[in-house]
Amino acid sequence: MTDRLVDVDPTGENVAGEAPAAEPDAVTDDTTVHDDVELERTIGLVGGLAIGIGTMIGAGIFVFPGLAAANAGLAATLSFAIGGLIALLVALPTSELATAMPRSGGGYYFVSRGMGTAYGAVVGLGLWLGLMFASAFYLVGLGHYASAVFAELDVALSFNPVVGIGLLFGVALTALSIGGTENTAKLQNAVVGVLLVVLTGFLSYGVLDAVGVFGRGTVPEQFFSRGYVPVLSTAALVFTSYLGFAQVATVAGEIKQPGRNLPLAMVGSVLTVTVFYIVTIFVATSAFGADRLGQFGETAMVEVARDFLGLPGAVAILGAGLLATFSSANASILSASRAVYALSRDALLPRRASEINLRYGTPHIALLAAGGPILVLVATGRVELLAEVASFLHLIMYGLMCVAQIVLRRRDPEWYTPSYRVPGYPVVPAVGALASVGLIAFMQPASIGIGIVVMLVSYLWFRYYAGSVTLKGDV
Amino acid sequence: MTDRPSILVPVRVLDGESIPEGVPDLLAAAHVVLLGYHVVPGQTAPGQAQMQFEDRATERLDEFEAMFEEAGATVERRLVFTHDGQKTLDRMTTEHDCLAALVPNATGPVEDVLVAVRGAVGIDRLVRVVAGLFGATDASVTLYHVAEPVETDEDVETLLDGMVRRLADLGVDAARIETRVERDQKALDAVVDTADEFDVVVMGESDPSLTTFVFGLPADQVADRFLGPVLVVQREPTDAPEK
Repeated sequence: MTDRLVDVDPTGENVAGEAPAAEPDAVTDDTTVHDDVELERTIGLVGGLAIGIGTMIGAGIFVFPGLAAANAGLAATLSFAIGGLIALLVALPTSELATAMPRSGGGYYFVSRGMGTAYGAVVGLGLWLGLMFASAFYLVGLGHYASAVFAELDVALSFNPVVGIGLLFGVALTALSIGGTENTAKLQNAVVGVLLVVLTGFLSYGVLDAVGVFGRGTVPEQFFSRGYVPVLSTAALVFTSYLGFAQVATVAGEIKQPGRNLPLAMVGSVLTVTVFYIVTIFVATSAFGADRLGQFGETAMVEVARDFLGLPGAVAILGAGLLATFSSANASILSASRAVYALSRDALLPRRASEINLRYGTPHIALLAAGGPILVLVATGRVELLAEVASFLHLIMYGLMCVAQIVLRRRDPEWYTPSYRVPGYPVVPAVGALASVGLIAFMQPASIGIGIVVMLVSYLWFRYYAGSVTLKGDV
Repeated sequence: MTDRPSILVPVRVLDGESIPEGVPDLLAAAHVVLLGYHVVPGQTAPGQAQMQFEDRATERLDEFEAMFEEAGATVERRLVFTHDGQKTLDRMTTEHDCLAALVPNATGPVEDVLVAVRGAVGIDRLVRVVAGLFGATDASVTLYHVAEPVETDEDVETLLDGMVRRLADLGVDAARIETRVERDQKALDAVVDTADEFDVVVMGESDPSLTTFVFGLPADQVADRFLGPVLVVQREPTDAPEK
């Protein structure tokens, strides 16, 4: 057993007079120990990978290919590769932080302990809101898939059902996560397993087809058909497809053998989805060419599947798309509720916010606090804007996590004993931080504007509500 | 270290479960590992439940601890918030090297103990539990075995006689020990039917096999159908899982 004591002694109190909860006394492979209470760790490596992959794969494969191809042409593959590389550069230092501080709240926890409450508050509130934007984005994607089902059935609707269906599922998901007592973790594992099998089969066929095995061959196309800058702006847009690994860190307090499983789950899920994304875009663009693919929009993959395998292919990808966007939205709502818990534990939000209801044992206020605003965001129906704001808020957190890792390594406080140490320090975290912030520059002005407003409001909230709370560890 | 057998007493401390009547006296000679646990759904962080319920849970465990100590047991207690109750139970069994776990049901003063003997495997732990808990009482102990068709009468006799001898070595008066053997019956039904005449059942936790996925572990089934307390003797921990 490995005991790692987190030497942080949070002090101060918020406007309501609540003080941050005490830090645990020890962390073992199986538990987090508070005095004489133990919190059991129950999520294994498979569960961790399922959270990471399940959160990410819905967006990159089922929503973005058409939009990305329209923006960057065949070079969209490069955009996804860049996104994957940045995610990896951040995932490595995050893994180190997570093995040193395997507590709920992930990025928020690392930054608040490593750099202080103000940074922590901006990241924590930003994470909560960022996850809402991400959830809303997945739900709008889900709406597109559900609408495509209606189109497939030739049901003519007099209105555009995308937003309506997104709202409906948003309500259903929130209700389900408050009232559902089934084992959602097992379900998530199964869903991710099914998705990976379906996609592997479909993409293998697509790759063989693209290289000409089935006698069609690919239309040769210029790689940078839209120029170089769109490659980066597309990378910024599709970065939403790489947010999931940080969600693994939000449940770090519940992962078994955190020293081993956290790095494997985070890095493993990033590598897995990167490969899937790149192959997907390659297959999709080689089937239609970037121009036609772009015209199909959010559900372009359905047309690709139809082109390869006819109606059964289209149906399979429709089903997979519904499943994937649903599981991504679900995972994000649950992560958002974990973020609320971490914030209220530290008195940055009212303690009541993470209260559990006695009937279902679920944190209904935290879940409503995530699910409610999501509906407003879904109602906008703006896929690209939602995706970029979600990415913006996460990228800020990623940048600060990299900085926090460098700070902790340099100061080297006694309690900081990560069992996994990032290779290539300090280059990897430094490049990770720069790349994260740099990517923001390629977003649309509207997204950047909303992101900055969210950060400002978060900071002001901290000053007003919990200005005297100190969470910074002895660094 | 004591000679007292470690017995795990799991209580879902926030779901209204408590220590039924008679149980503290039953375990008076034991080292009780009192486990209060609370299972939260996947949507909830265990730490969230801790923030809200720790005080209440601790209060109840204080009460239970006092009950056991009053009866004469030594007590060690743990409070765990978990997503997976079974994992917690298994971990506690290993960490405290518990010989048996109690399925707590109410009982009167213990006069008759039914010991279901399955075979030679795990018999050492079974003997230690029975001798440790009932050696110093005047309860009568019935060793009960349902023979398989391939077992000869001599096999059974060797098995049970050996057990009587070992119990006697550990201080259980041989005069208090009876043996009973059945044939041509389903072991599980036989145990449940016979258990009705007894105050408490001691049985082994058998290996999970295919049927257990459909019907649950035999020990669970007995516990469900028998109204008194059941002591489930745990398997020898296979080599230590962690270094």
